[in-house]
Amino acid sequence: MGSIEQQWRRGFSRRQALCGLASFLAASPLLHAQRDPYPLGPHRRVLGFDEMRTAFDFEPVFHDNVPLAIYDYTAHGTDSEFTLYRNRDAFDWVELVGGGGVTPAEVDTSTELFGVRMDSPIMLAPTARQRDLHPDGELGMHRAATSAAMTMIVSNVSSFPFPQIAEAADGPLWFQRYATRDLEGNRQVLDMAQDAGCQTVVVTIDQQASYYERDLHDRNLGGAPRRARRRTPQNPPNPYRVGAGRLWYEWTLFDDLRPMIEVPMLAKGILTGEGARKCLEHGVDGIIVSNHGGRSLDYGPSTLEVLEEVVEAVSGRVPVLIDSGFRRGADVLKALALGAVAVCLGRASRWGLGAFGEPGARKVIEIINTELVHAMAAVGRTTIAAIDRSIVRTSFP
Amino acid sequence: MKVDRRQTLRRLGGFMAGAPLMTQQPRQGAPAARLAPVGELVNVPEFEAMAELVLSPDRFTTISGGHRGSFDRMTLRQRLMVYAMDLDLTTQLFGYDMFAPILVGPVGHQRELHADGELATARGASAAKTVMVASRQSSYPIDQIVADSSAPVWYQVYAEGDIGATRDDVAQAVDAGCSVLCVTVGVSSLQTPVRTDWRAVEQLGQAAGVPVVVKGIMSPNDAETALQHGAEGVVVSSHGGLVTGDGALPIDVLPAVADAVNGRVPVLVDGSFRRGTDILKGLALGATAVMLGRPPMWGLAAYGASGVQTVLELLQTDLARNMAMTGRPTIDMIDRELVRIDSR
Ligand SMILES: Cc1cc2nc3c(=O)[nH]c(=O)nc-3n(C[C@H](O)[C@H](O)[C@H](O)COP(=O)(O)O)c2cc1C
Repeated sequence: MGSIEQQWRRGFSRRQALCGLASFLAASPLLHAQRDPYPLGPHRRVLGFDEMRTAFDFEPVFHDNVPLAIYDYTAHGTDSEFTLYRNRDAFDWVELVGGGGVTPAEVDTSTELFGVRMDSPIMLAPTARQRDLHPDGELGMHRAATSAAMTMIVSNVSSFPFPQIAEAADGPLWFQRYATRDLEGNRQVLDMAQDAGCQTVVVTIDQQASYYERDLHDRNLGGAPRRARRRTPQNPPNPYRVGAGRLWYEWTLFDDLRPMIEVPMLAKGILTGEGARKCLEHGVDGIIVSNHGGRSLDYGPSTLEVLEEVVEAVSGRVPVLIDSGFRRGADVLKALALGAVAVCLGRASRWGLGAFGEPGARKVIEIINTELVHAMAAVGRTTIAAIDRSIVRTSFP
Repeated sequence: MKVDRRQTLRRLGGFMAGAPLMTQQPRQGAPAARLAPVGELVNVPEFEAMAELVLSPDRFTTISGGHRGSFDRMTLRQRLMVYAMDLDLTTQLFGYDMFAPILVGPVGHQRELHADGELATARGASAAKTVMVASRQSSYPIDQIVADSSAPVWYQVYAEGDIGATRDDVAQAVDAGCSVLCVTVGVSSLQTPVRTDWRAVEQLGQAAGVPVVVKGIMSPNDAETALQHGAEGVVVSSHGGLVTGDGALPIDVLPAVADAVNGRVPVLVDGSFRRGTDILKGLALGATAVMLGRPPMWGLAAYGASGVQTVLELLQTDLARNMAMTGRPTIDMIDRELVRIDSR
């Protein structure tokens, strides 16, 4: 554990300090996973822009910039948040081993995906409503991604229209879609995004009937609600009070969407080998292993622990990407070693934007990419292609 | 770890209100111990905190706590993209179509928790279309409890003490309309461990004239013995906390019991079920239905009938949501593949 982690751990309760000590002793001395610290480990003062050292430093600043309900919308996981925490715990179950003999200056993080060269295997995950975080919104996020030479995936529920985001900077964009049941309703949106130059379309399949207790508390306990939420939906299609939402999804959705999509089509939210094989049967060109950052099914597995199962099922036929819980360069390296070709950052990018706008978003992704460079050097790998299974030892429970 | 987010949030609110750098956060003031309106509670564990507000510490300890560790070692494997618009949780048990595979388990002396005791529980359970198991140690007479129910009521007795008197009470309960007899073994009405008198179990069952389920099964052997003595159903249970010697919980031994019973009779389970995912795990590991002990009592203590109803409805919805998301929109689609148990 580095000095920054130790600093970060200051201000904890004794119980947490003991836990920290225990996990310090238990974990790899090289690099140690962390749980999202806030609100469990508040800093004693708000750090300034130049003091940002890790992605975690941005979260309390973001927290203090926005109303609690806005913060909670980014932070929350579904139900008891078991999976939200398991995502972070999983990085402790993968240890980086071996290596040495390489300096960071020799490391090259560039890679290729769908025939397009990327400076880094790190991308920005699609996350909704970024203007809630900062007036720069997705425009700032796109400019930040472009200046850090990274690809941004724009959410279907962005605060600005896709074409406007595309015009804000030159960098590559992907487009994420939540399909509507009325199929033709999808065509117009997909045309719009493809006309504006999206390189791929990501179809999100998870998050059908999630339940965010923090949001309900914010409403009930007097915080400013982002929007009024009810505990139970109106007019549910069943007697069990579960809203219709996306319960109609079936694999044939991909067959229906395929003719509307001329660019590669990815499926986001895959967590099993079985699911991955179904994707291939239905014309999917790429898979994102994701549990929506712990926002979809509670008590589901962490994405890291199921990554290899998916990679094996796909056996190289299409690229496998991953997200959920990634905060550090070492986290990214672990996923690459287990077979992912790229890693997407959701909350980390939001913390940056929410803390300092566009410069914050840029800084946080640069920090994580620099950490990746250092982690690669530490295990003796100079290129992404050279990263293989032998640099990790896993102990999934 | 017992997490009460409501309290955490309040504490956080207090902390922030006091921190000079954080004045832009709305000031929430000192956290007052307030009984929240029942419609504000968002999960079942919160009902426990509310019960603590209204009960004396002595009473509260009789219904507090639980063992969650086993549930935290079980993750769910989804079957993705399964059409789930027609969610159906209906489950047949002893010829009755249950709205959901959830029952209110037997708890005695409920007037110590709320003035209306079992009558409020009966009304709350019925409002949530849920079967209630009434204890022989109820504060109200069984015919009144049945009269206040529109859903089936089961009757529960212990297989110890004066069997003649117990048999008379069973006859009276069956007369009043109780549809199933639940005989608890391995523990006395004072919650102390006792040797099971299987002959008494058999006698009570034969006299009852309704199906008999034996509650307190913690091994395949127990289950086999119960079946030999006429059980038409078993409830895997450690009586809410009296854990067996090796520390196993009902959810841990459930798969082995279900394997041994092998579909001959329904297997039920209770013990620290607090969330829809817990219930889903119970069903996946072989239970036909799950009994709730403490959670409805938290609702009863804090809110009476509407608390019982809300606890049950929250769990029904929770179970239904998680069935949809794991690609098992009907009960018969729930299989053992759904649960993965951590090996450490
Ligand atoms: C506030 C927020 C909003 C999100 N909105 C979307 C969305 O609109 N579409 C989508 O496919 N995923 C959405 N996600 C999920 C992310 O794409 C990604 O899967 C997840 O954030 C990764 O986990 P991480 O936040 O731990 O990095 C959202 C996530 C967050 C935190």
